[in-house]
Amino acid sequence: MRCWPWSRQHSANSFVMTITAQYLLSKIKELPLARRVRIMNVCGGHERSISLAGLRAVLPASIELIPGPGCPVCVCPEEDVYQAMQLALQAGVILAAFGDMLRVPVNVAKGEPRSLEQVKAAGADVRPISSPREAVEIARLNPGRQVVFFAAGFETTTAPVAAMLLEGVPDNLFVLLSGRLTWPAVAMLLNSGKPGFDALIAPGHVATVMGLEEWAFVVEKHGIPAAVAGFTPPSLLAALYSVLRQFLEGNHFLDNCYPDVVRSGGNATAQVQLKQALCVTSAKWRGIGIIPDSGFVLATRFERHDARKQFGEYETEGRKRVGEMPPGCDCASVVLGKLYPNQCKLYGTACTPRAPIGPCMVSDEGACRIWWASGVGAELLETAKG
Amino acid sequence: MCLGIPMQIIAIDGYNARCTAKGVMREVSLFMLQDEHIAVNDYVIVHVGYAIQKMTEQEAQSTWELLDEMLALESAAFGE
Repeated sequence: MRCWPWSRQHSANSFVMTITAQYLLSKIKELPLARRVRIMNVCGGHERSISLAGLRAVLPASIELIPGPGCPVCVCPEEDVYQAMQLALQAGVILAAFGDMLRVPVNVAKGEPRSLEQVKAAGADVRPISSPREAVEIARLNPGRQVVFFAAGFETTTAPVAAMLLEGVPDNLFVLLSGRLTWPAVAMLLNSGKPGFDALIAPGHVATVMGLEEWAFVVEKHGIPAAVAGFTPPSLLAALYSVLRQFLEGNHFLDNCYPDVVRSGGNATAQVQLKQALCVTSAKWRGIGIIPDSGFVLATRFERHDARKQFGEYETEGRKRVGEMPPGCDCASVVLGKLYPNQCKLYGTACTPRAPIGPCMVSDEGACRIWWASGVGAELLETAKG
Repeated sequence: MCLGIPMQIIAIDGYNARCTAKGVMREVSLFMLQDEHIAVNDYVIVHVGYAIQKMTEQEAQSTWELLDEMLALESAAFGE
């Protein structure tokens, strides 16, 4: 769960960074904002920086920062988690999954194991990993067993899965792929007629891989100001300042506020690898439904490593709430930016990081968990969004 | 799963690189950067064990500092 194993340290850069952030903040405060402006981000990393840096508290009240579809664990189909659990229970199978996936609950009858963590406790061989390379290593070390790598993630995670396949994997490694593309969810919101936001902060590392241009449709087709941002407060504030100025001046363009890493065209090698190993298809998003051209599947050449083809489906007849969020959970609305995390009635009461009900409280990239970590308690419940 | 972490390359062997982030060592794949010129001492941004792009030392330092601050805040919030 912890990605950053080093201890708290200060570098010489901190003074400069603070000055830059404060300068940008003062520029934002000078803007003549006559009405509310809603700015959506679609990346758990962005939401984490915004929340933990406390940017909402220091920005003018007319600026609303909305966490949108930025958590791949949260939208991973409930059916896929259930299938991973059933595969893990098969004799001889080792199920490897990113650590975040282990506590994601499925909808089963009371008393049955409801997560990978619980099937592991019941004796299944479930192994949390942090890289596709670890799945390859597990398969190499266990040649007599079938190793299933349950791979949920956006482009930044799915491109490494493609690289893993092309680099060559052992015969006993199978991939249960739940890879998703980010932009189609934003396109779906914009096409709905009620996107719920006036400007977009585009995800820095998705753009690093897929290219800046992938987000041009937001500006060109929908007339919505957009800027790609990095993850430090200065980069995020630069992107916010850019979209606010675009909004006020009516001069919309796709800005790049993470130019050190995000290039025009992105990582072309990674994009070729994605095309060689995987195909894009319409795909389910948990609690939301099918979004066109939003999912990855293994290309035919990797059929023998495709867990969906080699193991088949494992749906139990009569299982209730298949594909849905848990009862009472508003994760689907939180993911789409229709509700803030603390507007869900379970937030902070029945659902906390210690005993999570919905996936948004499970994942490090989930808005609910991030808000809880940054100190937003249920007592701070805000009035419903308009 | 992990967010992007800047790392510095200290050794390269084919598509494998030994990388460091403030004393923490990891084996990182350079497979996605095979068409780039990559050298020892370069900084890369790493996602789930794969380097996805080169970056400058300055950007790496800024991001490390941010990660430190967020980790401290989260540890306080979760009492870990």
